[in-house]
Amino acid sequence: MPIALIWHNLRRHWLRTGLTMASIVVAVFLVCFLRTMIVALNAGIEASANNRLWVQSAVSLFVDLPLSYQSRIAAVPGVEETCKFQWFQGTYIKPSNFFAQFGVDAEKVQTMWPEMKLVEGSYDAFVSDPLACLVGVVTARRFDWKIGDIVELEGTIFPRPDKSPWTMRVAAIYDADNPSFDKSMFLFHHDYLRKALESGEALGQQGVGVYVARIAPGTDATAVMAAIDELYENGPQRVQTTTEAEFNRQFVSMMGNIPTFLRSIGGGVAFAILLAALNTMLMAGRERTRDFGIMKAIGFRDSTAFGLLLGESLLVCGLAGALGLALFVGSAPVVAEAIARLFPGYRATPETIAVGAALALGVGLIAGILPAWQAGRLRPVEALRQEA
Amino acid sequence: MAVVPLEYNLRSLFVRRSSTLLTVIGIGATVAVLAGVLALQQGFERLFSETGRDDVAVFLRPGASSEGESGFTREHAETLIKGAPEIARDAQGQPLASGELYVAVRMRKHDGGETNVPVRGVQDFSFAIRGDQLRIVEGKRFTPGTDEVIVGTSLAQRIPSSKVGDVVVLNLTPFRVVGHFESDGPFASEMWGDLDRMTEALQRDGCSRVIAQLAAGADADVKALSERLESDKVSPAKVQTERQYLTTQTIALSGILVGLGGFLGFVMGIAAVFTGINSMLSAISARTHEIGVLLSIGFRPWSIFVAFLLESMLLGLLGGAVGCLMALPLNGVRTGTTNFQTFTEVAFAFRITSDVLVPAVLFALLLGVLGGLWPAWRASRMRPTEALRRV
Repeated sequence: MPIALIWHNLRRHWLRTGLTMASIVVAVFLVCFLRTMIVALNAGIEASANNRLWVQSAVSLFVDLPLSYQSRIAAVPGVEETCKFQWFQGTYIKPSNFFAQFGVDAEKVQTMWPEMKLVEGSYDAFVSDPLACLVGVVTARRFDWKIGDIVELEGTIFPRPDKSPWTMRVAAIYDADNPSFDKSMFLFHHDYLRKALESGEALGQQGVGVYVARIAPGTDATAVMAAIDELYENGPQRVQTTTEAEFNRQFVSMMGNIPTFLRSIGGGVAFAILLAALNTMLMAGRERTRDFGIMKAIGFRDSTAFGLLLGESLLVCGLAGALGLALFVGSAPVVAEAIARLFPGYRATPETIAVGAALALGVGLIAGILPAWQAGRLRPVEALRQEA
Repeated sequence: MAVVPLEYNLRSLFVRRSSTLLTVIGIGATVAVLAGVLALQQGFERLFSETGRDDVAVFLRPGASSEGESGFTREHAETLIKGAPEIARDAQGQPLASGELYVAVRMRKHDGGETNVPVRGVQDFSFAIRGDQLRIVEGKRFTPGTDEVIVGTSLAQRIPSSKVGDVVVLNLTPFRVVGHFESDGPFASEMWGDLDRMTEALQRDGCSRVIAQLAAGADADVKALSERLESDKVSPAKVQTERQYLTTQTIALSGILVGLGGFLGFVMGIAAVFTGINSMLSAISARTHEIGVLLSIGFRPWSIFVAFLLESMLLGLLGGAVGCLMALPLNGVRTGTTNFQTFTEVAFAFRITSDVLVPAVLFALLLGVLGGLWPAWRASRMRPTEALRRV
């Protein structure tokens, strides 16, 4: 019976119920969205492989290591393979088209990043053509690139005095099963860059920003890291070797207070929505003072009145929460696609869904308790005296 | 046309005060979130744009968009300095210009995390050009040619071993901290030392950029200077005034923050409008009888519409005021984030400016209008006879 009554009351004020629910849907969606952004910031860390070490300058992210370092790093016991990884930062047509480009040892990509699954083209095509590039599916789709397309990049760190662009051909496109793996990279032959710098066709310092080193299974990563760092303890350029997770973490820690900031916004949203729900439930309680008077007069208990209003609040918020979560889960693939460049790894996780559900029910409980308590304490005589 | 007295609506807001309060605080929270994001953006942007000078020119390598990407050999820098008549000269006839090295150096923060600290190698004239933009607050300036550095006050708070007398190691060379300096702009997050000592310690060739004091009246010629130098075969360069340069440094992060603020404002605004509609509908339904009376004594439906719309706008304005009050304590709160243009950490404070308050209040008013339009229209369409019948 009480359920039917709750339902009837909600329908009696269908408009108000609908608007309240819509606000809660929006809030649940927003809180889940913000939480996912924070999770996505850390996604790169989760996607880290534990058999890859990253060797970079201990001095600065922006200082390159000499080319000669590679063979000495490769000779450290436990290191199976090394690959150059040089930040390029070319401009494709206009600066806002930004995507990350790296000069690599083309022939080592396949074994160094087994996560990459080629969806078009082949490794052979990438390795054999000195001007080839291997592009992530996110970037390829963004610019509608097909195999064989020519991509012209204007150098910013490595400009060419004759103003000609760096010209490359799309040889293969990769995807990855792991949703957190970066699918927007643009990899090209480091040799192309090195030769241009050697011949003076391009300006800039010769070198490599990062060497990626794969260690043999069962090797003690800490010992290998220490051994690599020791090679250049006395210069000329000290190196810092980290696990892939640590390497990615340093970029997250650069975001400074942004995660805290997103969390405070989420708090503001939750607070605003609590007030909205409370407002609605207070209205609902006030309007039905007379109804409750009658119910109590004909013998219903105080607890029934209490339960009715609390139940109504929980039902409204629960339903709206479910809708908000459905919206969040349903829209996740689309949103993920839209923000893949800034926040790769956006996806609906069970934890976030739980947070959203807890928020909706929590708001329902808090917003329902005060009006429900008032309704429970009503004295029938007084309640009946009030005009409808 | 008879207008329903505003007092009617004021009293009505007061009579249903619990509902008014909840609606106002709800709108306030929405406005506060928007204002908070905008205050962050303002703090960041003004740190750069307000301190940039029009009489200082910044020379970068063509194609580079920030000094971190830019680079000149020493000879190239010398040619630039000597070859530009637009550069002001000191009493001895020396051009007031200086090559500067800019490297983002890894350092530990107090909280254990790692950060990229902007380290700047400068020549004597950098200080002459900066004048009192740079004020030593503790210790002294570094002695040219020695392994000494001075540290900006914002930076000194964030990293250990930056007190006067401490030693910081750059690559392999230990540098002694001999002073702290204060600056209103992004320099306060930097560490400064001698250009030659820095290039050697950090193993860099040449410098990152050249800065120059422009001769009086020459700031208008910067564009012409830039055009001339960009097509120069021997020593090409891109020239901007410092203000232009610093403004371009904020574009990426400012864009993200404005986008985020707009998105949050839009989404939370939807929820706030729904709440406003609810509140107004309930207010109107409680006063159905009164509306009937107003209509039957000759008030036009139009007046009723305006009256309730005004009431809703008042709700919005009150919410805007509450929201601004909620955001106000943020003013001056210090925070830090990475500037994506240079990948270095900049410290700055939230700033509540008119660029924050005006959009926030307008936004609140808009929420009030959107929340009130439909309920007010419904109220104005009531038929007096039916409305009067409802007790």
